Amino acid sequence: MPIVVNLDVMMAKRKMSLNELSEKVGLTLSNLSILKTGKAKAIRFSTLEAICKVLDCQPADILEYKTEE
Amino acid sequence: MQTNTQLMLKVLSVLAWIIFIGVCIEAGAFITNAFFALVKPGIVNRLWQQVDLSALFKYDRSYFFTEMLIMSIVGVMRAYLFYVIITMLHNKHVNLSQPFSHTIRRYILKLSYAALAIGLFSWYGVEYAEWLITQGVKMPDTQYLRLGGADVWLFMSVILFVIAQVFKRGIEMQTENELTV
Repeated sequence: MPIVVNLDVMMAKRKMSLNELSEKVGLTLSNLSILKTGKAKAIRFSTLEAICKVLDCQPADILEYKTEE
Repeated sequence: MQTNTQLMLKVLSVLAWIIFIGVCIEAGAFITNAFFALVKPGIVNRLWQQVDLSALFKYDRSYFFTEMLIMSIVGVMRAYLFYVIITMLHNKHVNLSQPFSHTIRRYILKLSYAALAIGLFSWYGVEYAEWLITQGVKMPDTQYLRLGGADVWLFMSVILFVIAQVFKRGIEMQTENELTV
């Protein structure tokens, strides 16, 4: 899929663990894991908003478009 | 609403069991009749529920056994169809809170193929009986031969196949929904 999720990069930059993010965002660990590993088919604006708020970043910092080779 | 659905499914389960037992008896009777006709030809005129095929038996034994074979196949297929319905209703893996599953889809496809087979065999059986009548053999009505309603079975098969395709799309949508975070 050409949309790459850079959640792990942002989490590393903010030195935040998956458990901590899960608690602050209000998402389950399994759902965050689905998002982090790129298995997610779609993301709700509300989820994106919550993640951006907690990680203090822009949606573009989390989602990236890469052309398929 | 949930209670109504559960009650409805229980009623359907009981009905399916009753019909299953009925069609099993019918299919078994046809097979037993064919066997008895082979061993004791004298009882042909006293077959299951006034299905008098003695004229056909006198005309040609191979035609008689072909007709009995078709009737038995239709009977067995009908029993199989209700067996599938019963197993579907009693399967613990079937979760009605998430009905769009591959298990249910497989069951619906099985029902569709069974209905198609019943329809085709019934249609062939009726055509065969009509051909025998043109040959001058006195045949009972198709209703007594339990071969009526081939078009209904074929129609049901198509409907079930369409439902199976809808389920396929439903499964895809459910999977996508589950992977939406």
